[in-house]
This record gives sequence, structure tokens and C-alpha cells, in this order.
Amino acid sequence: MSLLFSSRNLKLLTNPLNLENPITVQVLGICSALAVTVKMKPAFVMALSVTIVTAFSNLIISALRKSIPARIRIIVQLVVVAALVIMVDQLLKAFVYDVSKQLSVFVGLIITNCILMGRLEAFAMANKPWDSFVDGIGNGMGYGAILIIVSFLRELLGSGTVWGYPVMEKLGAFSVGYVNNGAMIMPPMALILIGVIIWIQRSRNKNLIESK
Amino acid sequence: MNKSNTYIFIYSTVLVVVVAALLALAATVLKPFQQKNLETAKKLEILHAVDKGWDAGSADNKNLYVDAQYNQYITRAFVFDPAGDTLPGRLAFEIDVSLEMKKDSTDRVYPVFLCTRDDGALNYIFPVQGKGLWGPIWGYIALGEDLNTITGAFFDHQGETPGLGAEINTRWFQKQFVNKKLFDEAVSFISVKVLKNNEPKLPDHSVDAISGGTITSKGVESTIAVSMKNYLPFIKKNKL
Amino acid sequence: MENHINLFVDTVFVHNMIFAYFLGMCSFLAVSKTVKTAVGLGVAVVFVMVITIPVNYLLEKYLLKEGALTWLSPGLAGVDLSFLSFIIFIAVIAAIVQLVEMVVERFSPSLYNALGIFLPLIAVNCAVLGGALFMQQREFANVWETVTFSFGSGVGWAIAIISLAAIREKIRYSNVPAPLRGLGITFILVGLMAFAFMGFMGFKL
Repeated sequence: MSLLFSSRNLKLLTNPLNLENPITVQVLGICSALAVTVKMKPAFVMALSVTIVTAFSNLIISALRKSIPARIRIIVQLVVVAALVIMVDQLLKAFVYDVSKQLSVFVGLIITNCILMGRLEAFAMANKPWDSFVDGIGNGMGYGAILIIVSFLRELLGSGTVWGYPVMEKLGAFSVGYVNNGAMIMPPMALILIGVIIWIQRSRNKNLIESK
Repeated sequence: MNKSNTYIFIYSTVLVVVVAALLALAATVLKPFQQKNLETAKKLEILHAVDKGWDAGSADNKNLYVDAQYNQYITRAFVFDPAGDTLPGRLAFEIDVSLEMKKDSTDRVYPVFLCTRDDGALNYIFPVQGKGLWGPIWGYIALGEDLNTITGAFFDHQGETPGLGAEINTRWFQKQFVNKKLFDEAVSFISVKVLKNNEPKLPDHSVDAISGGTITSKGVESTIAVSMKNYLPFIKKNKL
Repeated sequence: MENHINLFVDTVFVHNMIFAYFLGMCSFLAVSKTVKTAVGLGVAVVFVMVITIPVNYLLEKYLLKEGALTWLSPGLAGVDLSFLSFIIFIAVIAAIVQLVEMVVERFSPSLYNALGIFLPLIAVNCAVLGGALFMQQREFANVWETVTFSFGSGVGWAIAIISLAAIREKIRYSNVPAPLRGLGITFILVGLMAFAFMGFMGFKL
């Protein structure tokens, strides 16, 4: 176990959660992230799907990295990623149909999720399969963490529920005049929330602040 | 690294063949599950029109539960043509209404599902299909034995605005349709209007629109009017 | 014709790729620092979308859909290749981007120099693949509608990136709180712009 999780590998796993977060620091993978964060459940499934696809595409590309001809590199990467995404899409349709209906085209858009191509180019093409696999899991989790935070806030403040459980109603908030914030369900709120998350994160880690 | 063209060619061929084979295998293995899910989803929508099946999400085996409920309540189903004559030997459940609506109006066939309620009353459930703001909306309208009074309605959508137009798939919106009527006393077709607050209400023929979701609400209105108009010959032949 | 104008206005303002669907955000945020580069990328996206989406539509209609192969032989009516659609779409996009790059390089070196670095980026621009997937979902009646749809989507994306770049050029002179500087304020800006674009909802000619 200690061989599999050397301190370097542990860093690969934990860095993307904060200092190298794919969304808030590397600015990757925002495209498909925003539309699925109205409720926690689809956000969680999306995060899981992206983690699986990132980890396995990293693994496969890294294993093949010495044999891939440079000229068709991008196409090979896209084919591998697209194949994995189709697998995930088919599995979702077969076993969690309701969620796959909510995610609709956004499952397909994992293919062009920049996290994938970004990690494949930056990491998997130059590193060993196991390290790449761990790197993929780490980045998927970093992406997932932001998705979960955003969807938690949007579901709680926008619909008054957490994972479908009516928290606000049980607390009796509605009877004292509390109303759900309709703007939270609107897609633009996701952007503003991520902006605020970046603000908080950078206030705590001064070295992430961009120079003028 | 640079490789020869032959290598690139062979490499891409092998890659494509392997990937295609894997995907075809996965698609074939998973197809039965996916089709069962689609079937369950459709059965559930039909049941929702008569206010049944809302607890399916908490059932241990959703597919089995929905099948049982469907078999219990939907006692008959048949297919009819635009002239209103029933076509024996066709399976109503297999008809895809969205495909039928794309054909010429004379070439279509329509399904209808008969539901026996707990109190023995007979309901006719008709599919409706139309467009909202962002994409298709669809649903089912249940009519009482007089083929005039609405006893239940269910709508769903593909991607209406969350919190606004998307509210058409909530129960408060759908419950408004209960006891509304399609025809007035002179037996002419009025359908059900979806009206905003400032519009004068028609007691038997209107429901409240969703504030902020006007286009979707109007989409529901025209969905019902257009679809039910197709069924008028059938309704006239069977009642009124 | 009226139908096409409506579809165009609808895809540019109401169903805007950025403000309604948030597609193509990565390059949208990365390449919107100056107006000049934003215009370059915007034009390139319009270009690629107008070519790839109709091609994908034809492939979908005559190759992938259930029963799409009947034009080859009636015996193939039951073949459903739609599970391959993601991979075909992305392959078409990648191939056409490559092709466009080569054609532009050969025939218009000045345009190539202007677009050059952006073209490869477009292959992984979610707006292009997203456009193809929405095309599939919206079930257009004929190929001309998809041309209008793709042109509108591209123009909508271009308008979004150019206006964001213009705002970012100005905001450089403002006193933004240090932790919010750069990425943070850009996110909030895009959010506010998206709220403004929601005003177009239900807009019809």
C-alpha cells in the first residue's frame, strides 16, 4: 500500500482539492459543470462520472503513451475519451435512468470537458499509468468538490432541500416568512457562486492571487 | 515521436476496431435494461395522469412496482385512427406519439389508455404532445366517462427554465386541471386555457399560468388544444 | 424565411451558448483578455460550427438513427447506431478542424495567422460539440435549419466573448479586491451578463 500511495501520489490526490483545483485554479472543465448544479443528486452523479472518465482515460492514455503516433495524438485521446463517455452514458441510462434524463446532453459534453484533455496532455502523456490514474482521481474529486459545494448551496437556498430532503420545511422556516430564493435556481447564480468560492479560497491562500 | 504513415494507419484502424467492438458489446448487453427503464418511465407518466404511482421512487423494485400498478389500473388500451375508428390488433403502448405527430394528419394513429379507478369509474387517458419555450413538452390527459370532464393531467418537459416553466411537471400545476371541461354546454370544443393573473377567468375552462413561465404555460395550452382536437372524431363517436 | 430569422434571433440571444448553456467556457475565460484575440476566436468558432453541425446532422439522419440506413437497403431498417453518435460527432469535429486549418493555411495565410493558434483549441470547445448534441435533441426538419441554427449559435458565442473581452479590458483600471482579481471577478461578471441575457427569454419576432 505504501508503495502505491507514496507521498508524491498522495499529493497528486490532495493537491487538486485546493491548491491546484481544476475549476478555481486551473480554469478547466467549467462548461458542463454549471448546468447540473441545481440539485445535489445530478451534481454528484456528474462528479462521479467525470472522476471515472478522467481516471480511466488517464490510465489508458498513459499506458499507450509510448505507442501513440504524435501526429494523431489528439484524435486518439478523443476516441478513448469518447468511448469511455459512451460507456458511462449507457450505464447511466441502464441503471439510474432518472438522473441520466436530468443530465441529458451534459453527459456527452464530458468528452469536451477541458479537465480531461488538460490532464491527458499535461500529465498522462508524460507519466506512468498508476500515477496518472491517481492524478485523474484527484482532479475528478477536485472538480466534484466544487460541484457539490455549489449544488448544496443552490439546492438549499433555491429549493429549500438537501439531497431532496425538505430541510427548510422541517425547520419551520416557511411558517416564519422565509421564502426560497428563486434566483438560486437560475443558471447564472452558479457562476456568481463560483466567483465567491474563488474569492474565499484566494483570501486564504494569498499566493493564488493574480498579479495586476 | 514520429512514426511512419503505415504505422499510423494500422494504429488507427486497430484502435477504431477495438473501440467499436467494445461499444457495440456494451450497447447490446445494456439495451434490455435501458428499454425496461423507458417502458417504466412511460407507464409511470400514464399512471401519473390518474394521480397514481407518485410513490414509485421509494419502492424496493421500481420496475416491478410500476408494472403491478399499471396492470392493476390500466385495464384496457387500444389504437384509433384520425376518423375515430378503433384499429384492432395494434398495441397502444408501442405507439410513439412524437413520431405520429410528425406524419400527415391523415396517416396518424393515436393510442388511448383506459383506467379503472378505485371506485370503479372508467377514465380515458390521452397523450398530448407540443412545444414549450426550450423544447418539447408532453403529457397525458385523463377524461371521465363523459369524455368531457378532465379527471387528471400530467405534463413533463425536456428543458424548460428551472423554477419557472419547469414547474409544469409539479403537482400543484397539474391538479388545477381536475374538473375542468373540454366542451361547453353547446358541445363545442373550448379546451382549457392557461391564463395569467390579469386575464379574465373562465370557470370551467381555465387554469392559472405559472408566473414567469408564460411561454411554457401557453405551450401547455396549445399542446392540449392541438392534441385533443385530433381526438375529437373519436370523442364524438364514443360519447356526446 | 421568417422561420429562419426567428431561429437565428432565438439562438443568438435567447438560447445563447454561453449565457443560457455555459458551453465553451474554458476558452471563453482563457481567451477573453483582449478584444482583438476574442474577435479572432469568435470568428473561428462561427466558421467551424457552420460546417460541423450540418455535417453531423446529415450523418445523424443517414447513418446513426434507428432506421437511418434504410436508404442503403430496407433490410437495415432495424439497425440503431445511435450509441456511436458521441464518437462520430467528436471525430467529425476534430477532422474538420484539422481540414479547415489546412485549407486556410494554403489559401489565406493572413487569415491563418490571425486564427492560427485558435483553430486547434476549437476541437475541444464544448460549444461546438454542444451545438451538435442540441441539434440532435431538437430534431430539426431539414439541413437548412441546422445551418441557421449553427450560424446563430456561433454568432451568439462570438458576441458573448467579444463583449466580455471589452468589459475585461476596462475592468483592469478598476480597484478590484485582490483575491477577486482576474478569474473571480470574471466569473461574477459573466453571471451578471447572463442575468441580463435572461431578459431576452421568450423574445420572438
